[in-house]
Amino acid sequence: MVPKAMNYQFSNDEKLDREAAGAELRHFLDRVLAGASLDLRYAIESLDPAPGDVEQVELRVAFSGQDEEFLLEHNGELLQALEYLAVRWLRLDPHLYDRIRLDAANYRADRIEELKLSARVAAQRVAETGQSFRFNPMPARERRILHMVLSEIPAVRSESEGYGEDRQVVIHPAKPLRSR
Amino acid sequence: MSQGGVKELVEEIAKALVDNPDQVQVRAVEGEQVTVLELRVHPNDLGKVIGRQGRTAKSIRTILGAAGMKLKKRLTLEILE
Repeated sequence: MVPKAMNYQFSNDEKLDREAAGAELRHFLDRVLAGASLDLRYAIESLDPAPGDVEQVELRVAFSGQDEEFLLEHNGELLQALEYLAVRWLRLDPHLYDRIRLDAANYRADRIEELKLSARVAAQRVAETGQSFRFNPMPARERRILHMVLSEIPAVRSESEGYGEDRQVVIHPAKPLRSR
Repeated sequence: MSQGGVKELVEEIAKALVDNPDQVQVRAVEGEQVTVLELRVHPNDLGKVIGRQGRTAKSIRTILGAAGMKLKKRLTLEILE
């Protein structure tokens, strides 16, 4: 499918205009926090991602405050909802969604480490047993991290199966085990 | 912040997402324990507020869920087609 040509306001040639995007991100966050009566403060940090980072985060929003726990309930559901609406509000080029991260109590950063570790452990098991392994359903941004880690392990291949909120990553052996 | 804040929030989010912001309307229907926010957009913009596999609508509902906890009232979003 060829996407309709679109002008992305805050990027040029897949480069994020950090200053303008950051200002609009503040506007979005201020509106949502006030409108939803959420007792949260935030700070936006500008980062220079390393080439090997699984997410190329350039603007990191760190929330804190009374309602911090709301953000983290149900596997960070509210955090992810805010993050998704933020990138849509900014009309960001989907290739650049990972440039913006919303986090609280380092939840997302810890989760990424957890995903990387799970991917490696599961891949090793698949390689040893020759049996496929199915992860729990997860959001696109988390599946992407699994796929990136797994793509570097030659003994396995990964794909996503299922639809919508049930979509899950499955690891298969790269080739079936030979009986010897 | 009153429930009016929530209605305006939904309106503003919807306007930011659609191509026809002047066609965005939100009506708050107040029940005793529930407020239903009825969102109406230009038919061509329905996909923009619903999102792929309903993701955008779900994100708005998640925010309304949190706002509802704070306001001690259930807030539901109805997207009118």
